[in-house]
Amino acid sequence: MGLKGFILRKVVAACLTIIAIVCVNFVIFRMAPGDPVRMMFRDPRVSAEKLEEMKQTFGLDKPLSGQFVAYVKGLTRGDLGQSFSHRRPVLEVIAAKIPATLLLVVTALVFAILLGVALGALSGWKSGTKLDTFILTASLTMYSIPTFALGIILLLVFAYHIAIFPLGGMATPASLFEGAELVWDVLWHLCLPALSIVIWYIGEYVLLTRSAMIDVMGQEYITTAYSKGLKKFRILKNHALRNALLPVVTITGVNLGFAVAGVIEAETVFSWPGVGRLVYDAVSHRDYPLLQGVFLLFAFSVVLANLVIDLIYGYIDPRIKVSG
Amino acid sequence: MNQFTNKLEKMKIFFKLLFSHRMGLAGFGVISLFVFMAMFASFLGTVDPARTGAVESILQAPSSSFWFGTDDLARDIWSQTIFGSRISLTVGFVAALITVVSGTLVGLIAGFYGKIVEEVLMRIVDFFMMLPELPLMIVLAAVLGPSMWNIILVVSLVSWPTTARVVRSQVLSLKERPFVEASRCIGAGNIRLMFGEILPNVVPLMFAQAVIMITEAIYAEAVLSFLGLGDPTSISWGMMLHYAFESGVIARTMWWVIPPIMSIVALIVSFSLLGTAISDVLEPGYKEKKGF
Amino acid sequence: MMKDLNKRSWAIACTLCLCLLLIAFTSTAFAKKNRLSVGFTTEEALENLQMGEAMQYTEMGAVFWPLVYDQLWIMGPAPDYEPLPMIVERWETDDYQTWRFYLVKNAKFHDGKPVTAKDVAFSLWYLPKSNPAWDYPDNDIEDKKTMKIIDDYTLEFTLAAKWPGKYPPASWMPVLPEHIWKPHKRKLGKFVNKKCIGSGPYKLKKFKGGEYIWMVKNKKYWGDVPAVDEVVFKSYGSQDAISMAMKKGQIEFIGYNGAPSVAYEDYKKAENIDVAISPGIALVWFSFNLHKENGIQDKLVRQAIMYGIDRERLIQMVYLGYAKPADSFIYPEMDTYNPDLPKYNYDPEKAEQMLEQAGYVDTDGDGFRTDKKTGQKMSFEFLVPSAWPDEVKLAKVVKEQLKDIGVEIKLKVVDLDTYYQFIYTPTDDKFDLSVSSEEPGPNGSWIWEFVRGYNNGGAGWNQAYYDNPEFDKTLDAMNAETDPEKQKALTFKLQEIVSEDLPYALLLRADMIDPYRTDTFEGHVATMGGFSSWINSWTYFKVRPKK
Repeated sequence: MGLKGFILRKVVAACLTIIAIVCVNFVIFRMAPGDPVRMMFRDPRVSAEKLEEMKQTFGLDKPLSGQFVAYVKGLTRGDLGQSFSHRRPVLEVIAAKIPATLLLVVTALVFAILLGVALGALSGWKSGTKLDTFILTASLTMYSIPTFALGIILLLVFAYHIAIFPLGGMATPASLFEGAELVWDVLWHLCLPALSIVIWYIGEYVLLTRSAMIDVMGQEYITTAYSKGLKKFRILKNHALRNALLPVVTITGVNLGFAVAGVIEAETVFSWPGVGRLVYDAVSHRDYPLLQGVFLLFAFSVVLANLVIDLIYGYIDPRIKVSG
Repeated sequence: MNQFTNKLEKMKIFFKLLFSHRMGLAGFGVISLFVFMAMFASFLGTVDPARTGAVESILQAPSSSFWFGTDDLARDIWSQTIFGSRISLTVGFVAALITVVSGTLVGLIAGFYGKIVEEVLMRIVDFFMMLPELPLMIVLAAVLGPSMWNIILVVSLVSWPTTARVVRSQVLSLKERPFVEASRCIGAGNIRLMFGEILPNVVPLMFAQAVIMITEAIYAEAVLSFLGLGDPTSISWGMMLHYAFESGVIARTMWWVIPPIMSIVALIVSFSLLGTAISDVLEPGYKEKKGF
Repeated sequence: MMKDLNKRSWAIACTLCLCLLLIAFTSTAFAKKNRLSVGFTTEEALENLQMGEAMQYTEMGAVFWPLVYDQLWIMGPAPDYEPLPMIVERWETDDYQTWRFYLVKNAKFHDGKPVTAKDVAFSLWYLPKSNPAWDYPDNDIEDKKTMKIIDDYTLEFTLAAKWPGKYPPASWMPVLPEHIWKPHKRKLGKFVNKKCIGSGPYKLKKFKGGEYIWMVKNKKYWGDVPAVDEVVFKSYGSQDAISMAMKKGQIEFIGYNGAPSVAYEDYKKAENIDVAISPGIALVWFSFNLHKENGIQDKLVRQAIMYGIDRERLIQMVYLGYAKPADSFIYPEMDTYNPDLPKYNYDPEKAEQMLEQAGYVDTDGDGFRTDKKTGQKMSFEFLVPSAWPDEVKLAKVVKEQLKDIGVEIKLKVVDLDTYYQFIYTPTDDKFDLSVSSEEPGPNGSWIWEFVRGYNNGGAGWNQAYYDNPEFDKTLDAMNAETDPEKQKALTFKLQEIVSEDLPYALLLRADMIDPYRTDTFEGHVATMGGFSSWINSWTYFKVRPKK
């Protein structure tokens, strides 16, 4: 088997998952109540012909099997259907929102990993001390606070009572800023939503790095390094941390699914115009095609991220090559 | 009889360990407080939380007549907070029960029978674990319509695979243990083996899983309600936040927001503290370390 | 040497020129433009510039297009609400069926092309034909052949039916430039109208869907050029964000729905902000589903429900007093308003008596009545859209009030699109009663179409499934009556029938609460519905910077 077999297996599994997701997605949304075509008209004076025409546009005149074929065909062409509330192709609506979400997620993730790994390593290093207990309890607490609750608290404190941050959005509305001014404006708006996600992520990375660290610290080569008389910090840096980082890489991929939750909550609370806020809007308008599209996007990216992580893992973890 | 006292003894030790664990004790304490609140909601100086009050008492700050103030329909926030605990705890416990029972069943069957059964069940589990949870819950809740029972259903549908996976790996190792082999030798059938021999040994794990699932369910109820997918006719903490957030006066009415947020956070944090404590206690070697 | 000097003078000349240019540029750049910024919520924001439903039914769209496009005539300001000519000099009709409009001669579109009768004819004919249709019940032109372009500036057309009354036809219709739209005439609603070339007093400068619309004044406008240089419609994530923005001076007032009543005190206290209260434009009523077989079909029950509702308390609880009771589809300040309608003042005892008389008594002591004949509990599904927070609150209070007279209400809170689907198909029996709201406006005779029976030409507005041939006959007569006094009498009768039969029960009319900054602009124009609504663009035409 070897590496090739491993890769093949992973890719096939990912493809099967994606196919299953597509099917589930189709089924769930056919359960949705209400007549999607009727719902598109706020003006009730719709003639039967117009309704029929609409049905055809949305492919709803066909039987279920036909609809499924049309749906899959559309997907292969990148056609996710028309959004009810935006009256534009779903893909277009979503694509316009992706950069904002990426900005938020990447910023939050970078800060969370840096801080989380540092604190976690420290905690694991000093395992058993008061500092460790403190960091552990604090991260456990932070990890447990729902992002939207934290977001509301941040909003109340830093946007209302000490009004040093804006109430939401990604930039001052219609400020017509350009260049550096715009960048500053966006960064200023980014602070609170990013913070609300960072606090939540940090907990996770701390817990993870800490336990990996404790694991590694018990290993023989660390004891050996000690006996060689190496400086403590160097052991931490060169031996322990390096080995403890492997699970951190994995979890970043695996947890993308959870990260999505934080994004939806933070974007909703801070009206950040990204994909997460789009979910909220789609829910409040019961815009099923849009909801369906966003769900597909989330599911696909989680599957792909996992695949990539698996493959990287296959490369760097020697055991896989051997045992296959 | 001997077996029974043996089990009782084990339980005793377990709880002793749990209560000597600082996190476990703290978590348990706070949870008991909320359970007490939910059970005796009507005796805690509350009024009907849905009953609108007098016009003069709309959006009143906390006072001696309204301990936590009032909302925009002059409804008592103290009562809403107390009664809200019922919804959170109901969703938490019921969803956790469904999740753990169904998850355990799947895990048990997969782990015990192995081969093709395991392969199929575990592929399904893998598939579900791949799906991003919150979006899936949102989608399902949006399609099913807003109600507490739908939220319970949605949470259960989405979270059972974790339990299934954990239970399965436990079962795999239990299966090889001599006592199972021994029972098989004296002619125990599959059902007897699964539920009589293996299941009792999975119970502690189920317990730990249940605590995690309760946390998830409470969180899910809060988020879904906050996003407007909760039951608009009942008052849960998530719904309180939803209304406060939509009212347009959130800045002036801290008292409307703080109690539900604090309750959600307190409950979730204490359940995760309890969960950590339980998994610590269940860890092999912990008992010995503490001198039991 | 000579060469050197030459070089130097060249250099000096160049520098001078550069300086001059710079000064010229900077001075124009710094010549302070006054900008009127107006706040909307994200839900009200316009997503795209197509002339489809978004333009008509989103708040931002409905305020935006009358600024860039001219109309034949425009609703005048309060209190008279006279129809005022906009891009026409005058109009005439002999029989209220054939109408002739005389266009102004110097009007030009933003791209410099003149506005002619052909453009008007094009818009009048194709807009209602697009899908989804842009229409209004009063512009039903029977046949394209009846549209006569008499000369470049005179248009005559014949309606399918007479259109008597104070207001001429073709209300609230943009005049589109035919030279741009002609290739898309079959699908007007689909054309991506990026530039929004119209002939109105403002021009579109920049648009970002869901975020902002940035307009500049049309300096070459044929009529009165606005005193404001730029208008920006901005969308904010929440009412809180709007209030914060106004306090910081980032917006001048709120674009459509004004401020929620809970925020009144807060604005009133703020510096440099005052609050204007205007009568509302939206009417709120109950629609009773007369299709579903249950107690609601009994007139007595409907009347009892109305007696069981304490409107004063509703107004105080939900609107903090900023609302007025309503009893007719016609606003009390209109001269066609019938002042002698049954008022259904709160009288729970009378309500209980009526319910008893109708055969509903509480037999099992659970506090709710049951039908004597069938033994069924008196319980109704009350449909409310979640997108209307005030109405959701209202429904909760109504539920309590009706419980006191033994009627159980089950709230059914759904999203707005589902709500519209449900109320406009009463035959699906998805509700027993619902809270509904529309903005009829002064020219609101179209609202009677909500009452017209399905068997009698009703086109689908009828939420109640009401069917009363007498009403329909009166409505037809009213629509055709050219004598103002007789028409008024017929309108009185329509109001009487609705109030007596109660397919719809008018409840109230929420005031418009318009906070605005007092330190920057002056001359805001308030009508019903406040400073800025689909019938009121006057604020944008008249407001001017404060000296």
